[in-house]
Amino acid sequence: MLHPHIIKTLTATAFLMMAVALQGRVIEVCPECPVSSISEAIELAQPCDTVLVKKGTYSEGNILIGKDLTLFGEGNPILDGGGNSEILTIHSQFFHIEGFTIQNIGTSYTQDRAGIRMKESQNFTIKNNRLLDAFFAIYLEKSKDGVVENNFVLGQAENEAGSGNAIHLWYCENIIVKDNHLAGHRDGIYLEFVDNSRVTGNIAENNLRYGLHFMFSNDNFYHHNTFRNNGAGVAVMYSRRIDMFQNVFEKNWGAASYGLLLKEIHDSRIEQNSFLENTVGIFTETSNRLTYVRNTFAHNGWAMKISGGCQQNVLTQNNFMSNSFDLAVQIAGMDNNYDGNFWSDYSGYDLDRDGVGDVPHRPMKLFSYIVTRTPESIVLMRSLFVDILNFSEKVSPIFTPENVVDHAPKMKQTSGIAQGAETPGPKIDPAAKPGHSLTQNALTIK
Amino acid sequence: MKKLILPAVLIMLLASACSPTPQPVEFGADACAHCKMTIVEVPFAAELVSSKGKVFKFDAIECMADYLKDHAETEFAFQLVRDFNQPDDWQDAKTCSYLISDEVPSPMGAYLSAYATEAQAIQMREAKGGQVFDWENLLIYLK
Repeated sequence: MLHPHIIKTLTATAFLMMAVALQGRVIEVCPECPVSSISEAIELAQPCDTVLVKKGTYSEGNILIGKDLTLFGEGNPILDGGGNSEILTIHSQFFHIEGFTIQNIGTSYTQDRAGIRMKESQNFTIKNNRLLDAFFAIYLEKSKDGVVENNFVLGQAENEAGSGNAIHLWYCENIIVKDNHLAGHRDGIYLEFVDNSRVTGNIAENNLRYGLHFMFSNDNFYHHNTFRNNGAGVAVMYSRRIDMFQNVFEKNWGAASYGLLLKEIHDSRIEQNSFLENTVGIFTETSNRLTYVRNTFAHNGWAMKISGGCQQNVLTQNNFMSNSFDLAVQIAGMDNNYDGNFWSDYSGYDLDRDGVGDVPHRPMKLFSYIVTRTPESIVLMRSLFVDILNFSEKVSPIFTPENVVDHAPKMKQTSGIAQGAETPGPKIDPAAKPGHSLTQNALTIK
Repeated sequence: MKKLILPAVLIMLLASACSPTPQPVEFGADACAHCKMTIVEVPFAAELVSSKGKVFKFDAIECMADYLKDHAETEFAFQLVRDFNQPDDWQDAKTCSYLISDEVPSPMGAYLSAYATEAQAIQMREAKGGQVFDWENLLIYLK
């Protein structure tokens, strides 16, 4: 007769063993262990096992994984591609990778080599990794239901042709890209044919082309990101129903640079974003039924340039503050609504004190029209001649589109400026990669 | 004689300013005349030079085709693309062969690449699959 206490203990042990069996085994990998390479561990692993990789440098070339596993790095192990190889190629239905430094992928003009490639996979998490000097860093291909979280990606792209994207999504669905810090690549985050996905809390800076780039992707949401000092800003192109909330677009300077480039975007909302110090805050072309609400445009060359084929867009409760030009509308006859914004250079008055200016405001100046037509005329900026020109046009508009007018300009600015992602998730030791040209710059942000 | 030098120089300058000449693409800085994207991928860059000498650069052959469709009334002295395998120089778009293949993604989603000769296009098709076109049929197909 067994003591009840022993029975209890035995059952508890049995349950515990079952739990362990369900969770799978743990296979340890370290340079001195019986299993000294990751490829070997993966060969040995059964579905649901955990491969625990300890501190060390592993140069195993391209590691192919076709199992459902957890790959966990302890003490920041380094996977080195030696400059001529893709590193992890994963095809799995359940996968978790965490805690690695993946480096030296090497440029290739014929292969899109990646640090971590998920191929036709689902239910995966890519978390807390560092990817240094990658061609493509994280490449998701025909995958769905995944999370890419808290990774630090730093490339050393010098020319755009010779660099890939930090996070590249191609034919994906239901992906969350969250709290990553991306710098020194061609595009920070690139999405092509990606639906129902969310991009949030990321910082993309010092990338050669775009911080974020949507192509042919519908029903996506990006919010609370910061896009700073990228070659050409953020581009959202050929897509529908993209909601853009509370992002910060700043310091995108250059002849072909925009805070946000919208081309053939329809039925989208752009709310509570900040556009600070860009050559052009928003450039939009052939984009219909967009609403721009409570955005702040400050210290840009142009706050907004609206090119041809933009219909039924609504701009309201936005703040236009100290931009060289608030609006440039290139073509007349578009039925957009500009009522109810705050314009810092509004010179009207509010006698009845209802918070709304009593005279309409014409945000598009004649000089803005002239500069759009003849860019060289910018040298006349801030001259008396231009002031006279603008004033005469204001009195009797001839050249500027007649319907670009705010009938109810606000006397006070709308409160609430987007904060973006100011506290980057990844805690990275800046000394880890000394002498890197971009490290300093990328890590000065607190 | 000396009196003639200045007018001659002026005429030469004027003539050189007006004669259409192709220009190199500054990758990473030039924007596509059609889609406004920065041009980055060398093998897919394309260029039109109007008979008045104005240069239009494109990030993809499909963008150039779209632009040609939208500007049918303009005359172009040069219609240039690059060979996918040797993308360093311009090729005449009209004499090139084209491949549309799911295995060769191009910047604007048409999966379109150019080859200097039909043999090269067919060779690529053997490796990657897809369909080969000449320039005229390509323009019809893209419409």
